[in-house]
Amino acid sequence: MNVLRAWIEDRLGLSAVTGFLAKKDVPRHKHTFLYYTGSSILLFLVIQIVTGVLLGFYYQPTLAEANASVVRIMTEMPLGWLVRSVHSWSATFMIALVFAHLLGIAFTKAYRKPREATWVTGVLLLGASLAFGFTGYLLPWDELSLAATKVGTDLPKALPVVGPWLTQVMRAGGDVTGDTLSRFFIFHVSVLPLAAMAFIGVHLFLVQRHGMSVPHEEERKGVNVPVLPFWPNFAFREAGVWLVLLGLLTTSAVLAAPGIGPQADLMAPAPQGIKPEWYFLFMFQTLKVFPARVLGLNGEMFAVLIMMAGMAALLLLPFIDNRPFERKGKVITALAWTGLAYAIGMSIWSLL
Amino acid sequence: MNGRRRMIAAAGIFLLGSLVVSGVPEARVQETPQVALKPAPENTPGQETPAAPRPPREQMAVYVLLAWVWLSIAVLLGLLRLRVREADRVFRMGLDRAAEKTPRGPGY
Repeated sequence: MNVLRAWIEDRLGLSAVTGFLAKKDVPRHKHTFLYYTGSSILLFLVIQIVTGVLLGFYYQPTLAEANASVVRIMTEMPLGWLVRSVHSWSATFMIALVFAHLLGIAFTKAYRKPREATWVTGVLLLGASLAFGFTGYLLPWDELSLAATKVGTDLPKALPVVGPWLTQVMRAGGDVTGDTLSRFFIFHVSVLPLAAMAFIGVHLFLVQRHGMSVPHEEERKGVNVPVLPFWPNFAFREAGVWLVLLGLLTTSAVLAAPGIGPQADLMAPAPQGIKPEWYFLFMFQTLKVFPARVLGLNGEMFAVLIMMAGMAALLLLPFIDNRPFERKGKVITALAWTGLAYAIGMSIWSLL
Repeated sequence: MNGRRRMIAAAGIFLLGSLVVSGVPEARVQETPQVALKPAPENTPGQETPAAPRPPREQMAVYVLLAWVWLSIAVLLGLLRLRVREADRVFRMGLDRAAEKTPRGPGY
């Protein structure tokens, strides 16, 4: 065993990594639980990759076979329905944890100097996660997914100048067709995973480079924040959280497996009750209730522009909120709480 | 404490072992799926394919698996709790870094 260890060490030099982890500390305070969200996201990402590869063995991204191949996975493959259900539920868990991670960092102002780039890569990862959800939603090619994708890809059209071009690029043509399905599939299994891996690599490097952030109120106390060694104290706690999350994932996947609707018909009218995934509900509801014309402008364009401004503000938050503990920072915190309440309220309204 | 730890570890190994063993007979009788040879089941318009497995045997197996999953998690959590308490005690006593002269990681 020692010979094997020495052989691996000679070639990979892993002792530098293990040495780093052995010396790594985790701050201990009332928000320490937020640190578990980051690693749990990685856990669900790995589950997504494994189940995604398994589904990919049998899924066929063509107009004629997409829906039928998903039906086959669910009805003929041994435990195929469970693999699909775990894939779907782990996406939900992952996005929920990404939101929790992001909100935790935003409200503890952990993006403050020198962690601006860490925040930016984190928001890009949120964007990649949402794009995974959006592209994956079309792949079963049923009535509902086709209608929801039509609505989703129609949105950028409202933007001036680049809008129609953007819709054309997303759909691989003027309308949602089999070409859109192929494009979404390639994005889902190749472009987005590569982008996500790149963002995760940079994000993790920056987290290790700067260490874990300590909430400002703890820093202000002027005493050293108590710490916990990463290995083994924090790692064992983290393993406990992972186990509970795995149990919840398995239970959800078994008890609430997603079904699949009838094959999409490109000529058929949109079915009743089109709804996107839960994380897009607030945008969907906003567009639904937004007035047709605002200040003489197209209401949809106005709404899309407001949403884009919101996303840009989120991405650049550390640079906008550059004095987080002064008056300006407090106003931004109040605005962030208002935005969160709005998103939750609109999502609930959409479900009613 | 050691006796309790040994008991939890033995229970965990027994539960996980019997879970693995219980799957062997079923795996032996399982047929190889002939996916490519079978035509895809067709959906009639407006009909949704149910998500849950149809064969009662598979349905029951899944619920049994779920019970085993939670049982295994409970055992593993018990073991982890013991390891965490031990690691915290070692840390409080300063035994983990007694020989170290190097400073702590970044961020402090």
